[in-house]
This record gives sequence, structure tokens and C-alpha cells, in this order.
Amino acid sequence: MKPRRSPWFDWMVLPTIVILAFVIGYPIVRTFVLSTQNYKVLSGLPATGVGFSNYQQLYHDPVFWQSLRNTAVYTFGSVVVAVIIGLALALLTEHMAGPWRYIRTVLLTPWAVPLIVVAFLFRYMFDQDSGVVNALLRDLGLIHSNVHWLTSSTWAMPTVMLANIWTAVPFFFLVFTASLTSVPTDVVEAARVDRAGTWSMIGRIKLPYLLGPAMIAVLIMVINNFNDFAKIWAMTQGGPAYSTTTLVVYVYQLAFSSFNMGYASAIGVVWLLLLMIFAVFYVRLLQRASR
Amino acid sequence: MTAVAPRLDTPDAPVSVPISTRLRRKPWKVAVVAVIVTAGLFWSLAPIYWMVTTSLKNPLEVTRLNPTLYPHALTGQNYGELFGQTLPFSSFLENSVVTSLVAAVIAVAISAFAGYSLSRGQWRLRGFTGQIILATRILPLVVLVGPLYLIFLKTHLLNTYYGLILGYTSFALPFGAWMMKGFIDAVPREIEEAARVDGYGRIGILFRVVLPLTLPGLFTTGAFVFMDAWNNLLYPLTLIDSLKMQTLPPGLLTSFTGQFKTDWGGMMAAACLTTIPLMAAFFAIQRYMVRGLTAGALAGQ
Repeated sequence: MKPRRSPWFDWMVLPTIVILAFVIGYPIVRTFVLSTQNYKVLSGLPATGVGFSNYQQLYHDPVFWQSLRNTAVYTFGSVVVAVIIGLALALLTEHMAGPWRYIRTVLLTPWAVPLIVVAFLFRYMFDQDSGVVNALLRDLGLIHSNVHWLTSSTWAMPTVMLANIWTAVPFFFLVFTASLTSVPTDVVEAARVDRAGTWSMIGRIKLPYLLGPAMIAVLIMVINNFNDFAKIWAMTQGGPAYSTTTLVVYVYQLAFSSFNMGYASAIGVVWLLLLMIFAVFYVRLLQRASR
Repeated sequence: MTAVAPRLDTPDAPVSVPISTRLRRKPWKVAVVAVIVTAGLFWSLAPIYWMVTTSLKNPLEVTRLNPTLYPHALTGQNYGELFGQTLPFSSFLENSVVTSLVAAVIAVAISAFAGYSLSRGQWRLRGFTGQIILATRILPLVVLVGPLYLIFLKTHLLNTYYGLILGYTSFALPFGAWMMKGFIDAVPREIEEAARVDGYGRIGILFRVVLPLTLPGLFTTGAFVFMDAWNNLLYPLTLIDSLKMQTLPPGLLTSFTGQFKTDWGGMMAAACLTTIPLMAAFFAIQRYMVRGLTAGALAGQ
């Protein structure tokens, strides 16, 4: 029996579309318009069209290029490390049963810590004077003078990335742990009968099952890192000397510290174009996954 | 995988034995696993331990050159000061709780409707609309928040709960709609058919049959929205000017800069209190998390 046509519930998606159009759709259009204007919010002057001069300025702006580089380092660097740690922990805790299974729950806890708290925690632990990390390294004799973790342009980026990795590991751990349960028992059993060693068991039997979920998880995390604002802003505000200024931080500073909306929008447009490339992959992968 | 391994001739033998007893355990392997897993536990818990213990130390102990491993003199002083005169901590907390909870409830309701429509609807552009909705989730908030600020300025939504809730809701909707679609997809259509035969109308089917069956889905979606809102720094930082109206993330950030930059004890006490609601939400839905993630396939970071 074919279901009766009752089209009214087709329209139940409408509130979502209306809200997204107002809060996301319109701002996108406005961003494109603003990017061709000179608009300084606090000046009290109306926006004036300036053609593509914002884009020319952007091309010659060393901070823009540096923030692009920083974004790439921050995004991909943290993902690579977090995937490795998450995968290792998932494989090692795979067979833990009974009371040992709570280890898996404990390994997830960093995910439940608010981002602002993560930033505060790492600011405190890596403080140059009263931080516990410097104290530990001093006691172990590894350093003789305190390292300026968050106040030197060498160490600020690695420290911020470490905080980010700390929050990202549980996500990958969970994805890998869940995917490991989908490896068929008889395949593992057959490999064991064939006397497969630990490494070939992992590399040739299990990893193929993890590849699909891993790709989706990496893509999600890349996008999250790309858009990450809270951790970096609360830890370094992009400093020192722009060493942790990612695109997000730079756009925020331009729009809300210098109130230079026009130029900030131009960077936003370039960014949107970069993201479109990601978006195509993203939607395709997610659709395959939810099938 | 090219070939699926042939089944063993005695199908009941290996499957029923617990996996752990079948492992050929070599002592050095067990030791390596133990060391790495212990390191993993230390890595996950040490920062949290440090936060909790520091919040219970008195100022003298916190600022000692060689930090103490545990509080030698327990004190609730840091917590008391949060609710004193200097910091509007209780209004930050209230603002965070109200806006995050309301946003979660509204977003779940709207997402459930959208999810039902995307799952069961028969309209032509359904697949395409779903893709567009999903794609908005990857847009950088920071690019959109500039124009959003200008709209809110004109519509007098700056500095209001309404503006914040609208912002949080819109941020959560793409994810929520897909998550709910995933949960509703899992409800068998036969159940709806049976309910129709029993004389339920469309609304009755949705509210009395489908939604009760997706209750874990509703809770999971709600918890994700709540966590997103609780974590959001950018929206309140830009869309709220007055300190009294701030939520926890920007409020604490403003409080612990300048003069109070190194009030580590107070900072960690505030951090602990900010963490508790999120932990509660997280562990409440932890069981459904994997399903939620694969259904909506998106992390609530």
C-alpha cells in the first residue's frame, strides 16, 4: 500500500530554512558586498564602494599570508598527532572488558571539558613562572631556565596545538573504538588461525575497516580546527608577534578590534572559496557514511 | 578486503570463548600495553586533577615556587570569592545556563521537525536541501558574525538573550537536523503504517509514535546543542557588550585578564564550576554518542 500523500509535513523543514537564511544566508551575501567596500564601523561614515582594492591589499599583506600558514600548521599538525594517539589507545584498549572497560570512559573525559577551561588549564600549566610544566622539567634537570611557553613566538604555537590535541584525542579514540567493533569476528579469527602477527593483524585486517570512518573523522576535525577560535583567543589572542594568528583570529581582530569590516570581509570571501572545496568532499563523504 | 575468510567448520567453538582468554599473552607485550595505557590515562586526567586540586589551595600555596602535589591545607576560599563582590560570576553562570538550555530545547524541537521532513518527506528538492543545510555547518562563524552584528544592531537584538539564543540555535540546526534525520530513519515505517491503521492522524503519529521512539535521539541532540552553546565564545563576545549579560566563556576571559591574570586559584575554581554542567551532559549521552555521531556525523566541539 502506497502511503497517502499528506504534503504538510514536507514543510516542517521550513523553520530551519528560515532561521538559517536569516542568520547564515544573509550574512554570506552581506560579506560579499562588504568585501568590495570601505567600511569602518566606528567611523560613523557610510560604506563606500572601493572595487577590488581590499583584495589587492590582502595580496600584499604579510600577516594574511602568515595567518594562512599558521592555520595550515595548526589544523593539520594537531589532526595528525591526535589521530595517532587516538588510534593507538583504541587498539590497546580494544579487548578490555569487565571493570577495565571504564578505562575507555576515562580516556573520553577531556572531551567533556569546556574549551574555555582547556585554555585556562593550559595557560596555567604552561605559565612561565608558576606553571607546573616548567617546575617538572626543572626537577628532571631538562631545563635550566624557565621556558616562555606562551610568550615566545617559538613555543606559543606548539603549546596551543598541544591544548587542541588534548581535546581532540577523545573524538578520534571514540570513532576508532566504535569502528573496531565492526571488524567481523570470523575474519579476525581466521587471521589468528593463519598465525598472523600483531602488526599484520592490525595493518592488514583491522586498518581497512577503520579507513572510512577515519577519513570522515579527519575531515570533521579539520573543519573544526579551521574554525577554532575559543582556545587560541583565550590562550594567546594570536600573539606573540602574530605567531599564533590563524585566519579566524585575524578576521576577528580586523572586524572587532580595528572595526575594519570591509577588509575583514574580503578575507572572509577568500576563506569561503577555500572552504567550498572542502564542502564538496565533506557532504559527499557524510552522505556515504549515513547510508 | 578481497575475500571474506571461510567460516570455521565448528561455528560455535571460537565465538563463545571470551576474547581475552584466547589472546596469546606474552609478558613483555602486556607490560608495553600497560605502560602506554597508563600514560594515556595520565595524559587525560592529570590536567583535570591539577585544576581541581589548585582550586582547593590557598593563595600562598598556589604561588609557591615548587608546586605542591596536593593541597596541604584544603580551603574553599577560591570558590567563596567567586560569589563575592568583585566578580559577577553568578550572573555569568545564570546567563550561560538560561541561554544554553533554551537554545537546546528550541533547537531540538526545530531539528526534530526538519529531521522528520528530511526523512519521510516526498518533496523533490529534499536531498539537495539536506545537503545545503549540512554544508552551512562548515561555514566559519567568524566571517558571518560581522554581518550578523550589523543585523542585530539594526533589529535591536544586541545585548539580549534572544540574540544569543538565535545565534546558538542557528549554529546547532544543521547538525541537529541531520542527527534527527538519522534517528528518525531508524524508526521502521511499518510502525507508522500500523499506527495509521489504528486511526492515528499525521500529528498523532509524529508526537505519539515517532518522537517517543527517538527519545534517546532527542536527548543526544539536545545535549550536543547544549555543549556547543556552553562552549561558544565568539557569539557572546561579539553580540553582548555589557559584562552583566555575558556568559561564562567571555565573562571569565574578561575577569581573568589584567589585574587578576595570575589569580590561578580563583581561575581554577571558576574552571571547575564551568566544567560540571558540561560533564553531566556529556556522560548522560555518552552511550548514544557513537550513534549520534554517525547519524549526524559531526562532532560537538
